[in-house]
Amino acid sequence: MAEKRTMTLNLTDAEMTALEELALKKDLNKTVVIRQALRLYQMVDNRLREGKKVFIEDEMTKAKAELMLL
Amino acid sequence: MEQSLIYLRRSGTTEDVEAELWDDISDLHLDQWKSTWVPLMERAEARLRASGLPKARWPQDFHWEWDKKTDWSRNLLTLQRFAITCGGALQGLMMLNLTKLTARLPSQKGKDLAYVEFLATAPWNRPDIAGVQQFTGVGRNMMRAAIEVSRNEGFHGRVGLHALSQADTFYKDACGMSNLGSDADYYGLSYFEMTAAQADKFCH
Repeated sequence: MAEKRTMTLNLTDAEMTALEELALKKDLNKTVVIRQALRLYQMVDNRLREGKKVFIEDEMTKAKAELMLL
Repeated sequence: MEQSLIYLRRSGTTEDVEAELWDDISDLHLDQWKSTWVPLMERAEARLRASGLPKARWPQDFHWEWDKKTDWSRNLLTLQRFAITCGGALQGLMMLNLTKLTARLPSQKGKDLAYVEFLATAPWNRPDIAGVQQFTGVGRNMMRAAIEVSRNEGFHGRVGLHALSQADTFYKDACGMSNLGSDADYYGLSYFEMTAAQADKFCH
């Protein structure tokens, strides 16, 4: 397993609440939620840099909205 | 890159042979894939084409280009690669995705899982390609690796994958996964999922 390094993360109350809610909902600890978010963010950024578009699709209507990362 | 000791079984015997599970696909593994797997796959493809067997019944991973998959995935945190070697030969390759999708079984719906993007065993372990089988256990060891990643990530052993139809029986019977049926959004392939309990049972 790759060696891990420790960092301190400062969050606002709202950010910490969102993190705790996600961790509870996903049955993950907070560190894993942050790691999953980083993986997703990196993947989306990579796709966009390749000239691809990322869409969010409504499962019922099939309507698509482009995910914009500025 | 780290390796761990695993065992493959010499086909048709009860002899377990020491093998190595690698936590990445190296350039050496890719060289081995190109020089030993690809020629056998190409010969098998030519043989099948000449036999007139419908393409739908050919091994469905002929077109997997592991060099491109590995190269593209190397800088992405969400994709993890594995290789199995035995006796100096490349025996299997796998790629996992930790953010591809979330669980679909009602008991674990929406929870994160380790998704098996690609899993292949060497042609000489596949009677459908080489006509012989040197070792068994590559797929099972790769599934154990996927479960271990899932556990280490806090996903409790949850694993998901879309199976090529020729592998349906392996995932259902040998791995004990739940078959959620054909996925119209993914080339009509069957979607399989493993719960924490199924992972415990599989690993025992």
